[in-house]
Amino acid sequence: MKKYTGKILLIAAAALLSLYFLWPTYRDYSLRKTLSTLHGQDSVQFVENHENDIKEYRAKRIKLGLDLQGGMRVVLEVDVLKLIEDLAKNRDDVFAQVMKEVREESRKTDTSPVLLLRKKFEARQIRMSRYYRNLRDTNDDIYKFLSDETTKAIDRGMEIVRNRVDQYGVSEPSIQKLGSNRIIVDLPGVTREAEVRTLLQGTALLEFKLLKEPEIMYRVMESIDKLLAASNVTDSTDTSATAAMPDSTGDTTKIATAEGEVSPEVFAKKHPFFSLAIVNAQQFPGEAVVAEENKEKVRRILDRDDVKRILPADMQLIWSAKGRVLGNGKRYFTLYPVKSTPELTGGVVTSAQATLDQSYNQPIVRMEMNSEGSHDWARITGANINKRIAIVLDNAVFSAPVVRNKITGGSSMIEGMDNIEEARLLEIVLKAGALPAPVEIVEQRSVGPSLGEDSIRSGIISSTLATVLTVLFMLVYYRSGGGVADIALIFCLLFVLAVLAAFQGTLTLPGIAGLILTLAVAVDANVLIYERIREELSLGKTIRAAIDAGYTKAFTAIFDSNVTTFITGVILFQFGSGPVQGFALTLMIGIVASLFCAMIISRVILNVMIEKYGARVSFG
Amino acid sequence: MRFFGKTNIDFMGQRKIWYTVSASVILLGMVSLAIKGFDYGIDFLGGTELIVRFQEPVTIGDLRAAMDKIGFGKAEIKSFGSPRDILIQTVEQGEGSTIAERIRGGLTERFPQNQFSVLREDKIGPKVGTELRRNAVYAVMASLIAIGIYVGFRFKFIYGVGAVVALFHDVLVTLGLVSICDGMLNLELNQSMVAAFLTLVGLSMNDTVVIFDRIRENQKIFRNMPLQELMNKSLNETLSRTIITSGTVFVVLIVLLMFGGEVNRGFAFALTIGITTGTYSSIYIASAMALEWSLRGKAQAKLID
Repeated sequence: MKKYTGKILLIAAAALLSLYFLWPTYRDYSLRKTLSTLHGQDSVQFVENHENDIKEYRAKRIKLGLDLQGGMRVVLEVDVLKLIEDLAKNRDDVFAQVMKEVREESRKTDTSPVLLLRKKFEARQIRMSRYYRNLRDTNDDIYKFLSDETTKAIDRGMEIVRNRVDQYGVSEPSIQKLGSNRIIVDLPGVTREAEVRTLLQGTALLEFKLLKEPEIMYRVMESIDKLLAASNVTDSTDTSATAAMPDSTGDTTKIATAEGEVSPEVFAKKHPFFSLAIVNAQQFPGEAVVAEENKEKVRRILDRDDVKRILPADMQLIWSAKGRVLGNGKRYFTLYPVKSTPELTGGVVTSAQATLDQSYNQPIVRMEMNSEGSHDWARITGANINKRIAIVLDNAVFSAPVVRNKITGGSSMIEGMDNIEEARLLEIVLKAGALPAPVEIVEQRSVGPSLGEDSIRSGIISSTLATVLTVLFMLVYYRSGGGVADIALIFCLLFVLAVLAAFQGTLTLPGIAGLILTLAVAVDANVLIYERIREELSLGKTIRAAIDAGYTKAFTAIFDSNVTTFITGVILFQFGSGPVQGFALTLMIGIVASLFCAMIISRVILNVMIEKYGARVSFG
Repeated sequence: MRFFGKTNIDFMGQRKIWYTVSASVILLGMVSLAIKGFDYGIDFLGGTELIVRFQEPVTIGDLRAAMDKIGFGKAEIKSFGSPRDILIQTVEQGEGSTIAERIRGGLTERFPQNQFSVLREDKIGPKVGTELRRNAVYAVMASLIAIGIYVGFRFKFIYGVGAVVALFHDVLVTLGLVSICDGMLNLELNQSMVAAFLTLVGLSMNDTVVIFDRIRENQKIFRNMPLQELMNKSLNETLSRTIITSGTVFVVLIVLLMFGGEVNRGFAFALTIGITTGTYSSIYIASAMALEWSLRGKAQAKLID
């Protein structure tokens, strides 16, 4: 027994680790099961009480693919052709003809449209600088410029899509880049196609909106607060909200309401709105901040008809696109009170560039406008010095800089970003208005929840049945040896699921098929070993020697055959998409896990058994 | 318990008969492929596919009439597991989701009393369809080549060739049978079917490797035994494990085929065929090819380590 202590400890550690990784999946399942038994007020109460648990376990559980939980996958492609057409100046008949040819040809080949364009122009001996950038630029420069713009367009597209999806309020959306010009958007639980289409495909709208005076905002918010306090129908939002009060803004209460110190609970009762939306004239002049966990509640309040009526007709409350982390380590979103009518729309922006300011080493964004825009911009900035103008993309505020002076000539400089990433984001946003990233939907899949449920059910039935049959067969055919293989098999399944959970893998329906196949592959390794052991036994070896020889001699065959399956798994993962990748993933994890289980776990168990029971261990 | 005692089958002596059998099966499949081709899924064709669940069972004829009326006469309509669940597939491309909307509209008009819900809706652009089809071919090719290289590297080169020929055989037989059976079993060639092909390539290798491994081992022990005899000996020695490993996979796949749901059916079917032909081909194609080579080329000496 002692010789195997190391290995036994290793196995125990692996098993414990697996259980640790699978715990959130189990908790998530049981929480949801409890939730499904509750109704109405009880379920709301339950969600509020377990909010953090639900969030945490949800984030760490084994993710189910869209084919199992229902939802939509949309693949968007940046329309490079449209982009290069939009970027061209002095477009004429020749250009139109070239574009037409490029368009036709790009349908047939994989060559990038930019390269095709270049070839077409070079064949005609026309310098590309006739249509792009400066006349002095060489074709190489312009080729590089266009390729860069294509790359930037996809980033811009991603940002626009992310911004919209965030506002749409989907839980656990996933937005990924695919190849050089595609974006995959996964929206679990969403099936309203038409809505999502318009959401993702519409042209981005960039607006410059003036912030309302702080006093007006305070007055409006006070009315909302009073309304909520008076109408006792605040759907229990006020009961759990108190915990959200950040210490650093504890003085908020006095400024906003001119009241003395009160306990958070009492305050929340009296001021249901201000306990969620924090106003603080010193720290956040002219805006309100809301902790991330309260954002949904505030959104719900602002959606109420009676609350909407309080808002002046020319005033909107718009959320910041990104949250920021304040002193107490929590993330907060900002609510900006802005004038409903935009001062300018993004079409006037001709370029934007994030750089580091040479003299102060601060990140800044330079923005240029066309002549028409410059004219308006001078008037607007001149009339609103020391006021703030919000930069709004698709109804989310990305920045709200203060106007320092009248800007004539259309060239503005925006400063006050914390880091260069923030400046880059603003650059992307400003460009989105001027040069939209034209995207088209090239693939769209949606699975309704009932098909997902059916699939899960058949997945559970078939994997259970397959496990039972395999386990029984091994027991009957190989007796105690088979029993050991069965134990190793259970470990193997445990490991596969744990690895999936640990690496945030996604379980899809083909993935379940992969899991079932893993079962078969896992016992195969044991079959090869046991057949070998039987062979060695029939040569007259002792059981101990036969086991050793069996494991050693079967190893090369097991290893080689698993490598070949693994290779196909890798290739499949590379070429496949979505659910099929899920299959490849479980198959690969399964192969590694089954090797470990067959070569190490079953061997240790067998050796320990031999020490205890000697020749009574049977291989059938 | 034991299914097989010591066997002494002259596998290699009968190999010519089995060549004929293999060739006929492949030929039959190819004829079916040439005549009726595949029932391609939406992944590879591009177009729109809807799976709807009606409250009451509907007949395909009624559905066909409904589709004809809205101008999708060519749409493919079949039941998806039950008479209430229907799959409608059309290659027509349209802006946005208008095709799906028109189909839904047509169904509502035709079956006003029989409400339906959409279980799945896929829309694939023509470009993506072409790409997926090309990727599928690349993937199968890449895996055949990668496995050939690996086996050629781990064993002798000619064994790698034998293994790859056997894999081609498996893929062709399975393709043919899928084409022959797709009408009866509602199969379609889609992405998960391709996943099945790749997996069968991997699994089919398992048996081949086990046999090759034994041949390699026996070559070291019985240095002067003629290759044909040595192969027969190795095949007989490994017969039991070949049958049992394939058998367990086979049983599991049958379970998947029967209970794995409509979505996994094509996948399970292709793999079930694949695992059967894979087991057979490790003996009669992979090993036999290596033997043919050595008999013809008198290269027997080179095969021995």
